[in-house]
Amino acid sequence: MNTMSGDFRRDLEIRRYPILVYALTPLVALVLQAWLPRFLAGYAWFDLPLVVTVYFALVQRIPIQGTIMGAGMGLFEDALTGHAIGVNGIAKTVVGFLASSVGTRIDVDNHTIRLGLTFLLSLLSSAIYVAVYRMLLGLRLEWSWVIELIKSVANTLIALVLFPALDRLQIRD
Amino acid sequence: MESFFIRYRNVLVLLTLLVVQIVGLAVQVRRTSAGSNSLDLQDGAGVRLIRLWANAVVSPPEKLIHQAKLGAATFWNQYIDLRHTQQDNQELQKTIDRLRLEQASLLEDAKQGQRLQALLNFQEKYIYKTVAAQAIGSSGSDQSRVFTIDKGSNYGLKPDMAVITPDGIIGKVREVFPSTAQVLEINDQSSGAGVILETTRIRGILRGNAIGQPQIVGILADQRIQPGEKVLTAGGDLIFPRGLPVGVVEKIVRDPEPDRDGFIDVVIKPAAHLDRLDEVLVITATEARFSEQQQQDLATSEALKGPEAAAIEEQKKASAIMAERLPGLIDPNLPPDQQPLLDSSNPSIVTRPPQAVHPDRFTPGGANQAAPGSGSPTAPDADKKAATPGATANPATPATPQNPATPRRKPQP
Repeated sequence: MNTMSGDFRRDLEIRRYPILVYALTPLVALVLQAWLPRFLAGYAWFDLPLVVTVYFALVQRIPIQGTIMGAGMGLFEDALTGHAIGVNGIAKTVVGFLASSVGTRIDVDNHTIRLGLTFLLSLLSSAIYVAVYRMLLGLRLEWSWVIELIKSVANTLIALVLFPALDRLQIRD
Repeated sequence: MESFFIRYRNVLVLLTLLVVQIVGLAVQVRRTSAGSNSLDLQDGAGVRLIRLWANAVVSPPEKLIHQAKLGAATFWNQYIDLRHTQQDNQELQKTIDRLRLEQASLLEDAKQGQRLQALLNFQEKYIYKTVAAQAIGSSGSDQSRVFTIDKGSNYGLKPDMAVITPDGIIGKVREVFPSTAQVLEINDQSSGAGVILETTRIRGILRGNAIGQPQIVGILADQRIQPGEKVLTAGGDLIFPRGLPVGVVEKIVRDPEPDRDGFIDVVIKPAAHLDRLDEVLVITATEARFSEQQQQDLATSEALKGPEAAAIEEQKKASAIMAERLPGLIDPNLPPDQQPLLDSSNPSIVTRPPQAVHPDRFTPGGANQAAPGSGSPTAPDADKKAATPGATANPATPATPQNPATPRRKPQP
């Protein structure tokens, strides 16, 4: 893994995007996440808001922004579920913080590293979700790690397509 | 001190957000008396505001996409893909006629049931008014079985209204917004509906498991519960009217709670397609009487029942006439009181063998003819003698009517 000084990389490569990309990409991810499962009949094993959170946290490399974005996306997802608000919020807050913290220390242009990070952070998000649901709330929650593994792979495959597409939208000086 | 906040600002922001969310969870989650897997679903004002904002952001694009899809489908179905439409219409008309007749035949039972319920001071609630709604979105989580419909408080929807399809129940309205509403499906882990098994009459509470299967939880093990038994709504939850189809029993599993030996969970295969919902009905009113539309349908069924009953009566008359003309059942040469069907002294209708061309001593009735002094009995007398043991050479052989012109042969020495 290519590591270097965080401040050096931040000064070297600060990616900027049009404001519409910042506004619309999370919104489209949330809408699609709510809309697509209707056609997949219970097989919606992916998490578009998580992928978008990881992407922006990695390329922005500002932990506060990544943390806030993760919290916002997670709370938004919770608000649509009808369950208690905060379970997804906690999971994605941690994911956003970790992704942006790691983004200051690695070469975010390397696709393999980004995809590997997406896979690991997806698994971590699932683990935090289960932990909060079972331990913090004390609720019974049946869980299948096979499904979570499939979901992580699916998120990685989405990132494989989505990350290069979003890279093309950045503003180049 | 300032350098501490600046130096650790990232971690401090993270911790602040986590603490706020954990406190928020603690405020929201209230345990109910139903057990360790149940939460109070009543949201506070702040939580409801967050849900309202999220819904306001997501619903308009979802509605737009749904309207576009609906428009394209309508254009295709109504202007292009019109094959077999006439045939479908004819089949649907036949179905409507058949259902109207069935409805008319059940009407008397329903009226009698209402009278009996009135005597018992118990009033059955009927579905009085419904609002049709389209499913436009979902929760987006495989752990949450919630979907969004395109009707809200503007159409009179309120929380805890039942949502159904013609196949079976779907769930109940959870959150209502001005133009949309969230529906909690019966296979969500936080749902609950009172149900009853149709045959065994065992009651229970229906809720979902983690993989999205509705199940009746925490009932005593009973050998009578078998896969395939129908499950209906019990009506005791004040949400679903009694008797609506829920599904059929798929399998029986042990209660996973460690301290509940002897209890089982009954997994249900839902009658409605919960994964592929398009149009649903929200029951906005239930009354102890039929709605105006239902009364109109009943009147139509009653009107149709008269001509249909007359047609059935005509068919019965034609069948009676045909029965009279059937061979063997009625002998036109005998008076009505001696008909084989009416003769009580004749326990069975005897099939008469054909008359012999050259009778001999083996011919039925030949022995009687050979006996000196014997007359020519009539057929009924012959039958009576044949039925008497020793009256003929072969008592088991039925007698036949004798023909006096038939030449008789003397017995050979």
